[in-house]
Amino acid sequence: MAQFRLNGTKMLAVDLAGETIRALNGSMVAYEGQMTFKRQGMTGGEGLRGALKRRIAGEGMTLMEITGQGTVYLASEATEVTLVHLAGDTLFAESESLLALDGNLQTGVHFVGLRGMGTGQGLATTKVEGRGTAAIVSDGPAIALEVTPQTPLCVDPHAYVGHLGRLQQDVVTDVNWRTVLGQGSGESVQFRYQGQGLVYVQPAERGGVLEI
Amino acid sequence: MPGYQGINAKMLQVPVGPGHEVFSKRGAMLAYTGPVTFEPSATAGQGLGGALGRAVAGERSAMMHVRGQGTVLFGHGGLHVTVVDLSGADTLYVEADRLLVHDASLQVGTMFMGEQGGVRGMVRGAVTGQGLFTTTLSGHGSCGLLSHGGVMELPITPQRPVFVDPQAYVAHRGQVENRLAVSAGMRDLIGRGSGEAFQLQLSGSGVVYVQASERKI
Repeated sequence: MAQFRLNGTKMLAVDLAGETIRALNGSMVAYEGQMTFKRQGMTGGEGLRGALKRRIAGEGMTLMEITGQGTVYLASEATEVTLVHLAGDTLFAESESLLALDGNLQTGVHFVGLRGMGTGQGLATTKVEGRGTAAIVSDGPAIALEVTPQTPLCVDPHAYVGHLGRLQQDVVTDVNWRTVLGQGSGESVQFRYQGQGLVYVQPAERGGVLEI
Repeated sequence: MPGYQGINAKMLQVPVGPGHEVFSKRGAMLAYTGPVTFEPSATAGQGLGGALGRAVAGERSAMMHVRGQGTVLFGHGGLHVTVVDLSGADTLYVEADRLLVHDASLQVGTMFMGEQGGVRGMVRGAVTGQGLFTTTLSGHGSCGLLSHGGVMELPITPQRPVFVDPQAYVAHRGQVENRLAVSAGMRDLIGRGSGEAFQLQLSGSGVVYVQASERKI
């Protein structure tokens, strides 16, 4: 299986011995050995139906396949990398937060519904499932906050990076006349997670796109 | 005299004294103590011939001559600073834009890309956005390099050449030969490439500095 390790906090090193991984298009910064880079086809391994769903949801994701022998180094705009080990569970993340995926992992689109619209997240998020390692990027180091049935967690949608486990997501709003007048506290909409799992949060609030 | 000292990842403290003068990117001074003067320098320690070469090459990043007695803090654009010490054995190749500060004792030169790889070298410079010329530093002394997100040092050995994304390349040192490896296919021509059509292939023995980002300065 491909070995994912961190080289510093902003660079991901992956040791390959003939395996295939998937990574964000153009994220290679250096490599040693023999590597081939191939952009994934229109369907991205998700089938025709998956590609159609992705197109409708606007959850654009361009990945490339990396195959070879040696070590490949991946990074994106000096963002911080976090490794997530999946053992049959499902990771939900924004498509722009995914840096690299083990070849065994499957991706798909998960519809969030209308509530994604108000937060600029779009209608859908990407789900990653299977066994293997996924690397996600965040603006500043991401922390994993634990959610237990006793302690639900609320996060700012703009600081949300991804979540893992058996979690229910809903939106809490605190919109009042001040918000309407443009005098709100800037914290009128939050995501609330209930159940058992982890939520990854970054120390920056993005305005639609990742920006340093 | 103590050497360059990083205050944090993005700020560098440099001691200046008699016999220890430095050249720095113009406007990169953040603070200083003591009687220190900053003079714009057209030649950046290269002499008239070098200056002429640089002007022709377009490889002119405005530099200033820093001298006096004291300590100076340097930084630029919130970029990470990496100190590279040269012991006289090898030459550092770096783009002028990425050079924050260097000792006046270092010999500065401009290398024509064509010297390494002829026409292919020139094509390489044009494709990678490095231009036709690159700056060389040699001798005894230190220099500070700018990068977006910090650099990683990758060793290059004759058995193991290293391939680097031209946008993530910062500098290299040692007995290294570089050439442009092209793996562009039909998919790249129709705009459906993997974004990795061009790589710098570095072989020989030395070190290459790579940044964790594809952003040029």
